[in-house]
Amino acid sequence: MFKYVVKRILYILLIFFILSFVLFMVYNMIPIDKAYTETQNELKGYKGSKEAFNWAERYDYWQRYYGENGSKFERYLRWMGLYPYEYANGTTKFNGILEGNLGTSTQYNKPVKEVIIPPMKNTIFINIFATILGLGITIPLGIFCAVKRGSKRDVAVQVGTIIGYSLPTFIIAIVFMFFFSIVLKWFPVSGAHTNTGYFEMTPMQQFWNRMYYLVLPLMVMTFCSLGGMTRYVRASMIEALSLDCIRTARAKGLKERVVIYSHAWRNALIPIVTLIIGWFLGIFSGSMMIEHIFSLNGIGEFYYKALNVNDNEVILALQLFYIVIGLFGNLVIDIAYGFIDPRIRVNK
Amino acid sequence: MSEEIKNQNEVLDENNNTNEKKKGFLFYVGSFFKTIFRWFRRMFFGASKELSDEDKFKIENLESPAKMAAQTFFKRKLAVGALVVLFLLFALVFIGPLFVKIDLNYTDKTQANIAPNYSMRSIPSGLKNNIRSISGTGSFTVGVSNDNELYIWGYAKDALTKHNYAKLPEGLDKNNVLYAAAGTDHVVAITTEGKIYCWGDNSLAQCGYGNEAGMLYMPDEWLEDDFRLDVTKIQQLECGNQATALVYDNKVYYWGNPRSIMNMSELNGLTNIKKVAFSGYYTFVLTNDGKIDGGVSIFGREVGYSNKKDESGKNTKISNFKKYVNNIGVLDIAAVSDVYCFILTDGEMVVTGAFRYNEDVFPVLSEGEKPVKIISGQKHFIMLSDKNKAYSWGLNDKNQASFSGVEANEIFAGSKQSYIANDGKLIKSYGLKGYFFGTDSLGRDILTRIIHGGKMTMTIGAVAVIISTIIAIIIGVISGYFGGWVDMLLMRVSEIVSAIPFLPFAMLLSHVLTYTTVSENTRIFIIMLILGILSWTGLAHMIRGQVLAEREKDFVLAAKAMGVKETKIAFRHILPNVVSIILVSVTLDFAGCLLTESSLSYLGFGVQLPRPTWGNMLNGAKNDITISNFWWQWVFPAIFLGIATICINIIGDTLRDVLDPKSSRSK
Repeated sequence: MFKYVVKRILYILLIFFILSFVLFMVYNMIPIDKAYTETQNELKGYKGSKEAFNWAERYDYWQRYYGENGSKFERYLRWMGLYPYEYANGTTKFNGILEGNLGTSTQYNKPVKEVIIPPMKNTIFINIFATILGLGITIPLGIFCAVKRGSKRDVAVQVGTIIGYSLPTFIIAIVFMFFFSIVLKWFPVSGAHTNTGYFEMTPMQQFWNRMYYLVLPLMVMTFCSLGGMTRYVRASMIEALSLDCIRTARAKGLKERVVIYSHAWRNALIPIVTLIIGWFLGIFSGSMMIEHIFSLNGIGEFYYKALNVNDNEVILALQLFYIVIGLFGNLVIDIAYGFIDPRIRVNK
Repeated sequence: MSEEIKNQNEVLDENNNTNEKKKGFLFYVGSFFKTIFRWFRRMFFGASKELSDEDKFKIENLESPAKMAAQTFFKRKLAVGALVVLFLLFALVFIGPLFVKIDLNYTDKTQANIAPNYSMRSIPSGLKNNIRSISGTGSFTVGVSNDNELYIWGYAKDALTKHNYAKLPEGLDKNNVLYAAAGTDHVVAITTEGKIYCWGDNSLAQCGYGNEAGMLYMPDEWLEDDFRLDVTKIQQLECGNQATALVYDNKVYYWGNPRSIMNMSELNGLTNIKKVAFSGYYTFVLTNDGKIDGGVSIFGREVGYSNKKDESGKNTKISNFKKYVNNIGVLDIAAVSDVYCFILTDGEMVVTGAFRYNEDVFPVLSEGEKPVKIISGQKHFIMLSDKNKAYSWGLNDKNQASFSGVEANEIFAGSKQSYIANDGKLIKSYGLKGYFFGTDSLGRDILTRIIHGGKMTMTIGAVAVIISTIIAIIIGVISGYFGGWVDMLLMRVSEIVSAIPFLPFAMLLSHVLTYTTVSENTRIFIIMLILGILSWTGLAHMIRGQVLAEREKDFVLAAKAMGVKETKIAFRHILPNVVSIILVSVTLDFAGCLLTESSLSYLGFGVQLPRPTWGNMLNGAKNDITISNFWWQWVFPAIFLGIATICINIIGDTLRDVLDPKSSRSK
């Protein structure tokens, strides 16, 4: 098992470097030259005569300062932190992602690392709730449908889930917003918390205030996940129920409840675990739509804003974050597979 | 071919049988030729088409899996319904654009945010044979009959401010109106006693009272309850966009928003006036001695040209133009949104302004025919000649300017409608009837945009699916069939691609594209490519698994033994066996691509406005103002997108059930 995990980790690392390289190259298609802008600024603020200004020297200085000298590959390595910055005064320093430097946000004029922490917290907060809610509803529903396969209730759920996974998130969000916020006026339309007087509240009140604002986004997120998840749980449960061991268990005279929840469910779990992990991680990019529509300050909305104001280093950092999350998810799935299903471990 | 021959043979047989006793010889000759013919045919066309009864029986009993699947598919009502609906949708979005044209740059503020309405041209029956005046600037029209009755039709509401222009103010009797005129968001009426009523939106002093700074108001005494105008002295009541003009006792009174009609304050209170006209942004007047005046704003500017050529053959500038026109004398004036038209006393017609919809291309009059009256809609002119014929020109997007030389002695215009009448009796009306699905915030017809947007969405989805399917087939078959290091490499590549977070990465690529100078068409194609290239991995895996199972089968061995090329075995022998999963996956992926495209467009990273797609049509529905007030702007695109994806998913699901023998058995 240990060997298997190490192998997977090494492999994931390789993919990470390939993807980050691709990402860096795509990012480099954006024509920005920070060194040029800085030199230009310096020239504007230059006190002496314009002729005396040594453009080439200053330009080189800033290029080295931002690590923009050298070939593209060098720059990539520098960005990753595997190749040193060569400053104009002769000193060299490793200062890339691996050293924890994600760049600077031009929007806030702060290091990206600091800027993305609050939205990150929000997104995780939202997604944990959404996941718990989603699983709490979809798993029992899927099992129920699989057990009562072909019944009217099952058909009704099937039709409902087709609608659920056919409609895009934003349409569901708009419809929910219309009914619950505008027609019924139960929930606020958007925002993360009350604007006035929020910071005077006690922490408990703040929590409930946030929850009140989160009800609608969470409802939408749950509803959107219902479709795909329920169908998936149902399908794998049906598969599991047709196994020979289930027939044996029934023949032994076990209670139906035990057959379903103990025997069949454990067999159905393997594909479901993949889905759950993949889904939880997919939510980070998937919740972008929800965050955007309900103006919640999460990672997705942050990324969207950064794209709109050309805050390129934030874009790059978040994109890398999404890739890391995706790869990490794959790793977790692989390892979890190994734990749940011993056959996979043996095979590899 | 063979059927025909068979029939001929049968006929021949019958003939032979009936004649058998009489002419036995012929029968033998016939059968001899028949045999020769059959040999001949076998020689050149092969014998396979000719089956014995026994063979026919066997064939009928055997059914190909595809046929069986199709039969099962068509037994499912839901799937057939979905197929029919999808087919209709396809017809709408691919055939529709041939009939419904779209002008991508068209915007019209006066038609903005109109709810589904189809009554804009339907003159109320009481007015039809009794018209005195018709007036309209925006989405609704007011008319007064010769019995002094006031009628309002069209979309007389504002969904945002909740004004209802059809609701008369207190004290105004509907049967007692002498003059009435309508602006975009207000109505003015003068009763037979001479009392002015003004209702609708008054936020910018459209109704002539209030205390907003910088606006023009009615004279103070007019606002008093017991004030009455002398109705015999009223010459003209005219409304423009957020403005009103009344010519009373040879003097012009303006009220409303001077930021909307920019030279209003300049002309307010001029005397010796015969007529006023409003363009979209300016107003100007005609004096009793046949001269025009528009203040410095219009006829003082140096920009803009007229259709009048000077000696050197150039179009004269507006400033010179005024002198020319006033020298000859003006008979009648009218203006559309940025063009001013004049009939001179010698019968000449001249226009000036910014021509956009062929406003300077006049209709051809017959010999000796002279124009006597001209009126204007929002972007089209209607003219009446001295031979009682009506002509029209200008913007013709709703056929409002489609007639020429129609016999009539009265002409009326709404904003996008033309009405032709004879002695108050309506002969015919032309122009905009309304909007089936309403209009968006820029006044564009939503139905047209749904049709064209659907074409774009469907095309992007289809091309993306085709691209992803082709990649998936090639990679899946190669890695499944050849195995080894090729398999290893391709599967690693597919893992890398599947690790890319889809939506953020697509947004990043789209963002990078904005820095390049690609045209919108290339950009759309690149979006298709992005969608296709990022979504092939799932199908490739499935195909690979299936091919792995297929390649162990005997027919592959047989093909190898016969010396068939490896690539031919892979793509010609094995691939047809995995067609069923490809078919299912293509269907489901198509729905997926529609969703992704619309999500991207909704976020503003897909197809850019003004080019419509179902996704970016919903882009406007981001705030609760639109969601709550203008329901038609998001409901209809959402319904179309939803129906399309639901239908495709139902079809895909059913296909999967039908094509997969395992799942259909378990059902």
